[in-house]
Amino acid sequence: MSSLNAIQLTGVSKSFDGFMALSQADFTAKWGEVHALLGENGAGKSSLMNIAAGLYAPESGSLFIDDNPVRLNGPRDASRYRIGMVHQHFKLVKPFSVAENILLALPEQPGNAVRGSHRQRLRELEQRIREKATELGFAIDPAQITETLSVAEQQRVEILKVLLAGARILILDEPTAVLTDQEAERLLETVRAFARQGAAVILVTHKMSDVKRFADRVTVMRGGRTIQTLDPQAVSVPELVRLTVGESAPSSEYQPAAPGEVRLQVRDLRSTGAGGHGALNGVSLDLRAGEIYGIAGVGGNGQSELANVLMGLPEPCEGTLELAGFGDLRRAGSEQRRELRIAAIPADRYGTALAGELSVAENFGVGQIHSGRYGSFFRLRRKRLEAEAAKAVAGFDVQGVRSLKQKAALLSGGNAQKLVIAREFSRDPQLVLVHSPSRGLDVRASAAVHGRLRAARDGGAAVLVISEDLDEVLALADRIGVMHAGRIVAEFDRPADRQAIGKAMVGNAGASHE
Amino acid sequence: MNEQVRPLIVEQARPPARPPRSPLLARRYTLEIRQQLAWHWQALIIAAALVLGLGISAAILMAAGVPAGELLNEFVILTVFDAQSLKAVLFQAAPMILVGLAGCMAFRAKFWNLGLEGQMIWGAIGATAISLFDIGPQALRLPLMLAAAVLCGLAWALAPVLLKLRLKVNEIISTLMLNYLAINFLLHLLYGSWKDPKSSFPYSPQFQPFERLPELFDGISAAVPLALVVALLALWFLGISRAGLYLRFVDANPRVAGAVGVPVQKMIVGTVLISGAMAGIAGFLVTAGQEGRLTQSFYQGYGFSGILIAFLARNNPVAALVVALLMATLFVAGRSLQVFYQIPFSMVQLIQAILVICVASSDFFIRHRIRRVQGGES
Repeated sequence: MSSLNAIQLTGVSKSFDGFMALSQADFTAKWGEVHALLGENGAGKSSLMNIAAGLYAPESGSLFIDDNPVRLNGPRDASRYRIGMVHQHFKLVKPFSVAENILLALPEQPGNAVRGSHRQRLRELEQRIREKATELGFAIDPAQITETLSVAEQQRVEILKVLLAGARILILDEPTAVLTDQEAERLLETVRAFARQGAAVILVTHKMSDVKRFADRVTVMRGGRTIQTLDPQAVSVPELVRLTVGESAPSSEYQPAAPGEVRLQVRDLRSTGAGGHGALNGVSLDLRAGEIYGIAGVGGNGQSELANVLMGLPEPCEGTLELAGFGDLRRAGSEQRRELRIAAIPADRYGTALAGELSVAENFGVGQIHSGRYGSFFRLRRKRLEAEAAKAVAGFDVQGVRSLKQKAALLSGGNAQKLVIAREFSRDPQLVLVHSPSRGLDVRASAAVHGRLRAARDGGAAVLVISEDLDEVLALADRIGVMHAGRIVAEFDRPADRQAIGKAMVGNAGASHE
Repeated sequence: MNEQVRPLIVEQARPPARPPRSPLLARRYTLEIRQQLAWHWQALIIAAALVLGLGISAAILMAAGVPAGELLNEFVILTVFDAQSLKAVLFQAAPMILVGLAGCMAFRAKFWNLGLEGQMIWGAIGATAISLFDIGPQALRLPLMLAAAVLCGLAWALAPVLLKLRLKVNEIISTLMLNYLAINFLLHLLYGSWKDPKSSFPYSPQFQPFERLPELFDGISAAVPLALVVALLALWFLGISRAGLYLRFVDANPRVAGAVGVPVQKMIVGTVLISGAMAGIAGFLVTAGQEGRLTQSFYQGYGFSGILIAFLARNNPVAALVVALLMATLFVAGRSLQVFYQIPFSMVQLIQAILVICVASSDFFIRHRIRRVQGGES
């Protein structure tokens, strides 16, 4: 390498439909370093990296690779300059095998492209994948179909894909968001080793701990601008938080719960998932009024199925859900569940909670329409609906709402989540069912969401939080159940021992009940 | 492969003392996905696409031998300013409006009802049965025929919607195939027991005068106000009632709709039945209004027109009224072109198809924006 700088972006601006995502952003990553790009949701991290990867064309600004000015006309160009990006949402063809996915992404190479049949090429590639995977310490079978892989394995396929395409500048967009502690640590150690061999790794993240432990340098972004580049060892976490948020991040003190009677009794839920994997194998738990019960666990141990059953989404299953004062909750339709003041906040915001194409007001109001609150069947009182939506938007601090007629899809993740909570909490819930409430949210937005859940608890609601983020469960829950292989294998009272929970999560629960 | 065009290593290392002024990153035009477009811009883009489509159609008609001056005469002046043609257009528009609305309804519930013709045929068969078997007093005969048309049209739509919801049978196939069943049953009746004994042609006996839609003031058929009343009901259903908002959720994302308390199944069944009933009324209008008897080809062209009207109107009932009028004009003008210039009637279908393609492609400009970005070649 003749130069120190691997990739340099200067004065980059980009707007989307009038919204300035980036304004005059500068960024430099050197060879041999792990460079973290830190910022809240919507700070412009992903936009900047999408420009570096040739996906977006900026309105102004320059890109230098090895100090040479470069122009990218798409991701193919970026891959010629040996830039590879692993996106937050994986770009894999699910019914294809690992090798086929990687073959799709490989640049045409005049030397070896023509020779041999497709089958032979695939076999050669499988060999290369195996070698590369062993080198990186990944256990991957190249012939496996990608949709049968876990999220962590899919991510490894994405990394293999860009590395086999020859990437020397590796961009990882929020790589640890979907991983457990152990998986994240292994991944970050692998990429650090890769950087030590002379490559450049850019780590897009909003997790302070990743930055502190694994980055050589960190660039902080806020509001589309790059604020500062610093050495993470030389700054404290509160200082980093202040730089990303702009002010001191809201933190809340834990107040002990005052649990009441058992409100929801879950007994022996069983289901067989696809291929027997991820199914429920007898989930039982008691949820009391005035407490937050957190379910921790490694993703894919039945959490999604449990969430579906609890929230009344289609999911074939046996067992009982006994709601105090009502009976079997599984007989209740979605209208009746609302009448029972059951709030559901699913993980997949735009898949099950909000219709992105419809307006903020409609998404807010739809939950209460059947009750006649907004007029009879014959006449929908839109004025009243909009007035209440406006009040809720203000009351729940949903930002970025320029008009109530604006599509819900235009809201950022945190604000979309606040809108869901505004709707679900509009009738003072007695039972709150939550799945991954702060997935993809930044520090401030998740603090706001957590505050709402605590307020519901203090108001006497029974709150059940399912989350794959152990930090979130530890911060929120009064009691923690650990889910493994479709069962609650251990329960912990607050304050819980993180190490013990971690052991139970991977199936080594010594004493199952504390 | 592109080594010469875009070398991997850009010349030799040439570290710039200062960044060059021209932005090397930028392309001159970019294609972006629009987040939202104001409705009047959308309307303008669709209108422009319609004008383009009409222009292409005019060019084709001129190539087929219609003088340019006559085109304007046939399509605009004679149809709008000539009272007789205007009546013909309105008369033609009535069933068009109904099948168009039937299309809008079903498509709003994400149900691809391609069975409009089958439902029309059953509506007409129901109405004709009332006439044939002399059911009910004279004064109530027409309302009874209307009710029979509604019931039969609705019933013919019931099977596909239940099959879709219960067994996930694709409604595109089931509704389309049920059309053939309806057509062949119609022929069975007309060549068999319902054949007019006074002639050897395959049509039913002529309706009694009190079984035919009367002409109101100025000779405008009662079919026109009837269609408008149904249109108002559709407008209420989609725009004012609670169902309108429910349907928007069913259309946008059925999973979300189910989770937030929308009765998804009831909404889909109800809306599809209304769609079938509307098509049934259209069948009644054509038989009791135009021919005064059941014929073997009265339904032809309406099924496609209904889908096309709903598509061009973006499932909006008001826009469907306008488009249905436009289509009726096209039909009436097409018939006179056939008479005066020996232009085959399939030309009308060609024009319809051109309009659809133009409007469908205009969607690209509604969803995307082509933007010039500053800078250019380095």
